[in-house]
Amino acid sequence: MMNFYIVSKRISVLFICVFLANMLLAQKANIQGRVTDNTGNPLPNVSILIKGSTIGSTTSADGRYTISVPSSKSVLVFSYVGYQTREETVGNKPQLNLQMLPESGMLTDIVVTGYGTQRKREVTSAITSVSAEEFNKGNVPNVAQLLQGKVAGLSISRPGGDPNGGFAIRLRGLSSLGAGTQPLIVIDGQVGADLNSVDPNDISSIDVLKDASAAAIYGTRGSAGVLIVTTKRGTSGAPKIEYNGSVTAEDPSKFTGHFSPEEYVAAGGTNLGSKTDWNKEISRTAISQTHNLSMSGGNNGTIYNASVNYRDNEGVAIKTGFQQVNARLNLTQRALNNKLVINLNLTTSRRISQIGFSEAFKYAAIFNPTAPVRTKDPLYDLGGGGYFESNFVDYANPVAVLEQNTNDQKLKRINVQGSAEYEIIKGLKFLVRYAQQTSSNFRTALLPRTSFHSRNFLGVSGSARNGYAFKADDESFNQLYENTLTYDTKIKSFNVTALAGYSYQDFLNEGTSIGAGNFVTDLTADNIATALDFSAGLANVGSYKNASRLAAFFGRVNLNYNNIAFLSATLRREGSTQFGANNKWGMFPAISTGLDISKLVRIPKVDNLKLRASYGITGALPPFSYLSLLTFSANAGRDFYAGNNVWLQPYGPNKNANPDLKWERKAEVDIGLDFAMFNNRLTGTFDYYNRTTSDLIFNVTVPVPPNLANRTWKNVGTLKSNGVELALNYDVIKNRDFKWETGGNFATYHVQLSKLSADIAPGSFIGETNLGTPGQEATQITRAYAGRDIGLIWGPIYKGLDAGGKFLFDDGKGGTTKDENAFRTQIGYGLPNFEFGWNNKFDFKNFDLGFFLRGSIGHDLVNTYRSFYENATVVSSYNAIKTKYYDPAIKDGQKFSSLHVEGASFVKLDNATLGYNFPLNKTGSVKSFRAFLNAQNLFVITKYSGVDPEVRYSDFGNVLAPGVDRRETWVRTRSLTVGVNVGF
Amino acid sequence: MKLVSKALVSIVGLLMTASCTKLDENELLYDTVTSDKFFKTDKEFLSAMGAAYTNLYGFKGALSNVNEVTSDEIVVPTRGADWGDGGHWIRLKLHTYKPADSEINGSWNLLYAGVNTCNRLLATFEPVGTAQSEAYISELKVLRAIYYYWLLDNFGNVPLSIDFKDIVPPANSTRKQVYDFIEKEITANVGKLRKTGPNDQSTYGRVNYYTGYAALAKLYLNAEIYTGTPQWDKAIAACDEIINSGKYALTVKYQDNFVKENTGASEFIWAIPFDQVHAKGFNLNHQTLHLESQKTYNMTAQPWNGFASVSEFYNSYIDPVQNPGPQGTVVGLDTKGTPTTGTVDKRLSNFLVGPQFAADGSRLVDGGADATDPDGKPITFTPYMNELLPAAWRQSGARIGKYEFYNGMTSDLSNDVAIFRYADFILTKAEAIARKNNNWSDPITMALVNQIRTQHGGVDAFLTLNDTRFLAERGREMFYEALRRQDMIRFGKYNLSFQWHPADADNHVNILPIPEAQINANQKLKQNPGY
Repeated sequence: MMNFYIVSKRISVLFICVFLANMLLAQKANIQGRVTDNTGNPLPNVSILIKGSTIGSTTSADGRYTISVPSSKSVLVFSYVGYQTREETVGNKPQLNLQMLPESGMLTDIVVTGYGTQRKREVTSAITSVSAEEFNKGNVPNVAQLLQGKVAGLSISRPGGDPNGGFAIRLRGLSSLGAGTQPLIVIDGQVGADLNSVDPNDISSIDVLKDASAAAIYGTRGSAGVLIVTTKRGTSGAPKIEYNGSVTAEDPSKFTGHFSPEEYVAAGGTNLGSKTDWNKEISRTAISQTHNLSMSGGNNGTIYNASVNYRDNEGVAIKTGFQQVNARLNLTQRALNNKLVINLNLTTSRRISQIGFSEAFKYAAIFNPTAPVRTKDPLYDLGGGGYFESNFVDYANPVAVLEQNTNDQKLKRINVQGSAEYEIIKGLKFLVRYAQQTSSNFRTALLPRTSFHSRNFLGVSGSARNGYAFKADDESFNQLYENTLTYDTKIKSFNVTALAGYSYQDFLNEGTSIGAGNFVTDLTADNIATALDFSAGLANVGSYKNASRLAAFFGRVNLNYNNIAFLSATLRREGSTQFGANNKWGMFPAISTGLDISKLVRIPKVDNLKLRASYGITGALPPFSYLSLLTFSANAGRDFYAGNNVWLQPYGPNKNANPDLKWERKAEVDIGLDFAMFNNRLTGTFDYYNRTTSDLIFNVTVPVPPNLANRTWKNVGTLKSNGVELALNYDVIKNRDFKWETGGNFATYHVQLSKLSADIAPGSFIGETNLGTPGQEATQITRAYAGRDIGLIWGPIYKGLDAGGKFLFDDGKGGTTKDENAFRTQIGYGLPNFEFGWNNKFDFKNFDLGFFLRGSIGHDLVNTYRSFYENATVVSSYNAIKTKYYDPAIKDGQKFSSLHVEGASFVKLDNATLGYNFPLNKTGSVKSFRAFLNAQNLFVITKYSGVDPEVRYSDFGNVLAPGVDRRETWVRTRSLTVGVNVGF
Repeated sequence: MKLVSKALVSIVGLLMTASCTKLDENELLYDTVTSDKFFKTDKEFLSAMGAAYTNLYGFKGALSNVNEVTSDEIVVPTRGADWGDGGHWIRLKLHTYKPADSEINGSWNLLYAGVNTCNRLLATFEPVGTAQSEAYISELKVLRAIYYYWLLDNFGNVPLSIDFKDIVPPANSTRKQVYDFIEKEITANVGKLRKTGPNDQSTYGRVNYYTGYAALAKLYLNAEIYTGTPQWDKAIAACDEIINSGKYALTVKYQDNFVKENTGASEFIWAIPFDQVHAKGFNLNHQTLHLESQKTYNMTAQPWNGFASVSEFYNSYIDPVQNPGPQGTVVGLDTKGTPTTGTVDKRLSNFLVGPQFAADGSRLVDGGADATDPDGKPITFTPYMNELLPAAWRQSGARIGKYEFYNGMTSDLSNDVAIFRYADFILTKAEAIARKNNNWSDPITMALVNQIRTQHGGVDAFLTLNDTRFLAERGREMFYEALRRQDMIRFGKYNLSFQWHPADADNHVNILPIPEAQINANQKLKQNPGY
């Protein structure tokens, strides 16, 4: 004991407490007992305190505890997060067993905050928790989809039904132009993890940190919000085995409208004698299946949860889909009298995707409807593979595109995480965490010798190309090392929780790619060295390797005064290698406070009323490494001729230096109200926020001269945004046999590019995007101006046609003009005014029925199909697009205008589920059995004439250019799933 | 238990103090190099110098386009859905170009990238002080002056940025100031450059003594346009420096300058050593050939069916009045390109016209031919073009065949491209003498022009000349060498009406607008008048 004391003292005064605590504990006779939850399962880690003292204990993994008490009159206080606190007088019993009941109502739920948890009632910032029961149901292979429409202010969108497509996630609109437009993901404490490294089946809850005060603890990565994913844990007791399985049938629900063969010929198109429905030819009813097997349990301080997920998902486009196996192991071991808790999380997944070619949908819409799919006529069998082809720009037989060519990827993800937490003295815990994530993606594309794929794919023209093979391997790796010290105590009427920590993370990205063509036989295309392009000097190879590093110190203090008033203060000081030499470290403070008014004033019918206010600062990183440095590079194929057939690669600067480059800084005020009324039957949350993101990172055009390169990454602008969010939940009917619960959320946001620095000339714009090939590569359709909202769709205003069928546009002076460039202005707005979700859940005896509606109101979309192919004059090359806007009077060339910008407000029935729980004998081997029927995307109400009215939050990554519906979007789909959940 | 506690506490202490806070990004560089780690070896120096030249691999892009498509030689019609490109190609032809147009900005960026690279390299080499570095410095200064010559010619009042260390965005200089700078820089440094011939590998592709004089000759020939003061004598003297050196000669065949294996052709004063592997950037084949022409040459990628020449310009070759010479069968000017009788100028190889065939000899057929095209699906390139927009026939327009197209072409041609070609300086001298003496039929002028006509064109010598005939001859000889805009301005034709181009309202269009992006980025820049 003495030795221990001395060693402790040498290291830190803190550890004196350890000694003292041990001294105090080593005194008297014991009281023993077991604490269980309402279902009879043991409850580990329950805090037990002798009232009026600092003496306490906790329960072990099997719920048992021992404690020494000074007298039989002592009162023990049992508390556990999420459960009602109980007080028991010891009396004369040597054994005191106890059952704890969960706190009821939404305001008592546990909320996972950064580096900790809180009770919902203590939370002083804007955090929304979504538990597994509330997730979207059906075939949901993507984690983001679980949350779609569920959280006010969290917009999640994936236009079209591409099974391999990603979801755009935006929290409270746009708050960054840098790397962080998507929220930071934290999975079981692993910061910066890949959201799709976890299978949706394995998630128990997702917490969304919305305001800056909540996210400030994540510093330079907090600006776009944080999603904290908590996976399912085991509980001690008998092993539980669960199986979830489902089969899904998915169909296209809407195609792009176009001329029928008859209409096409009538408009002057060449009649080739066939009638082909190209949309039908390239699509199918996709059948998918999902299987999830999990087991969990534990004893003797060990808890485990292991699961395997298999998904075989077909896409509605032929030859597309993916197959995925994901396995997870969560293991917890307690030791040293429960003072030490060791956690191990392992996840691995392998996904093989048949990406296909999204442009096939474009070609299906515009390919000659009188052309046959296959032909032997050498005039049309241009590839020699027996498919009908024709030589027009950006035009290929869509069936051939999908059938002949391969575009696959193999994605592997491995996440390893371990943490050890040691309770040094009562309430003081030290945690060390190490985590790493490896993602690798091996891509293969093969175009056979007979392929006639149009130019632009991999920069290759397939025709007469004698085949082409492309292989690429990319790997990204990051490792996280963190330690935190937390201290929980009570000082008079204050509960105090303090946190201090250090975090280090490094990132490494590497990759190689090879593309080469000209094969003698397709059969050796996987041996890419057999491509003649290598000896001809025509092969494309590339490789890269880059890295970055983050380091941070952080701390937080939470105060709770008698569950009436709450205060939280956070500070993170964080540095990144990606910042310029003059600005390596940033400071990210936050403070938030809350007051439970219902505890102060008795308001009839009101169970809880908490007012919150918070302020915080978060950051966003630059999008890539090395942006602050003047770097040299050489371009292949631009060698310097040094005479006598000697070539040298000339090295020159590829960008300018900016040693001042720093983080984007977001400051946010959030004022919120949480309430519960009518015996907690009506609960709700309201938030108003106002945020200013300054020092926006943007690749700015700089004058040449004096600069070496015409682009420099600079901190140039300010975004301002504000909005309100409302979430309500109401138990309409709550009988034994019938329950009806309804809930909704509503959010508005409004983002303005309020200011651009002097580096950008007054009156000039950024964020433009162009319409594209064919022929409209230089037609700008979006812009962002200082002082105006983000989301401006820009172009001429359509004013009808002249007598000859030529377009007339507003000339800006009250008249009309034929010059589409004469007067261009705002002709649409790409972001919605508000978004909402509405959920309904009915329980009748063993049946349950739920449906979920989601809507976005007020956004416009550029229907690019119409911009390119709407007027009948295109039939010389393409089939024309025919929507309700089709006007046979148009005799002009294609000119972009407000004519092609449509309101795209929509309401979707995203999800409807009917389930039945079979009544089973609890003692049987099968503990639970549920069967369900689920439908996704049953209907969409919209005036938009295109395929999918979902909001396009960005355009090819350009976040300043929302509102463009590209032709490469997959068709919208509808799906039906049947499945079972079985518990053993 | 005690032992474990001790060990744990020790570990905790260790972990808390072992925090890494190093954030120097230079430690994490892998696939890139910073300037302070470069310039360690001779090869790195030469490689750095190369950047001043490889910039020119963009020469046949935007810079060439603004000097050709604006003239009577070349047009980029809108072919249905293809090549509309927001109308900027048509605006070049109509002289309604805007400061935001891509080719305008592209030209500026190319030229100032060259200027900047020269400035940067000069700042690197100047402190070195060796004979080798001195030679590089003179070479770079003349090269920089040539970049400024193009800036002077195209944009006029450009900012003079000459010191790498000067980081303040510069304001416009006057055209006269830019002119004076170019003249001073070249004359001060040209004497230090090597007097190597066209095929001397030590300077091939690089600026030598004669390149300097060639640039001076061009500067002086256009001096009246640039400054208001003609410099005919200086122009003649500069040309004589080249002609009298005896190092250059007209090629035996005109086409020898343009074939694939043309390295070191006897007319090359300065050429860009394009190569389909090493030096990519010359893609005339893609710009001008029909999609189906891929089969004619077994090309590795499909061409884009864009750039073409026009019938009036083509007619200046075959019309016996404009171009007297031997008569024979040539592709005609009607909608089908029907063969007709006309002058067979050997330089008609500048165009690809008439029926087109695959490599195996079969006729090329276009399944997507315009329904209104009178000769239908079999492909015939006709000098005739039905309209500029919106739907020029896919097969219409004489294609630019000046540079040899060869079997197995890739997206980038291997033919070297002369920037300064000997024939140009024979014609420059001829023109300067005629203008100095105010007599287009001056005997020396006649002799020089006719030397070119007979040797390269195989057509009859002119008996008399006038300015129109002289300009037409320059057109036949110097077609598609990025000179036509300058020539038409000098001859006063640029603002007049010519095929597909109505007369300009005024001559402010003779200087291109300063790109909008540049004015936005550098608020000291003032836009050229009239834009």
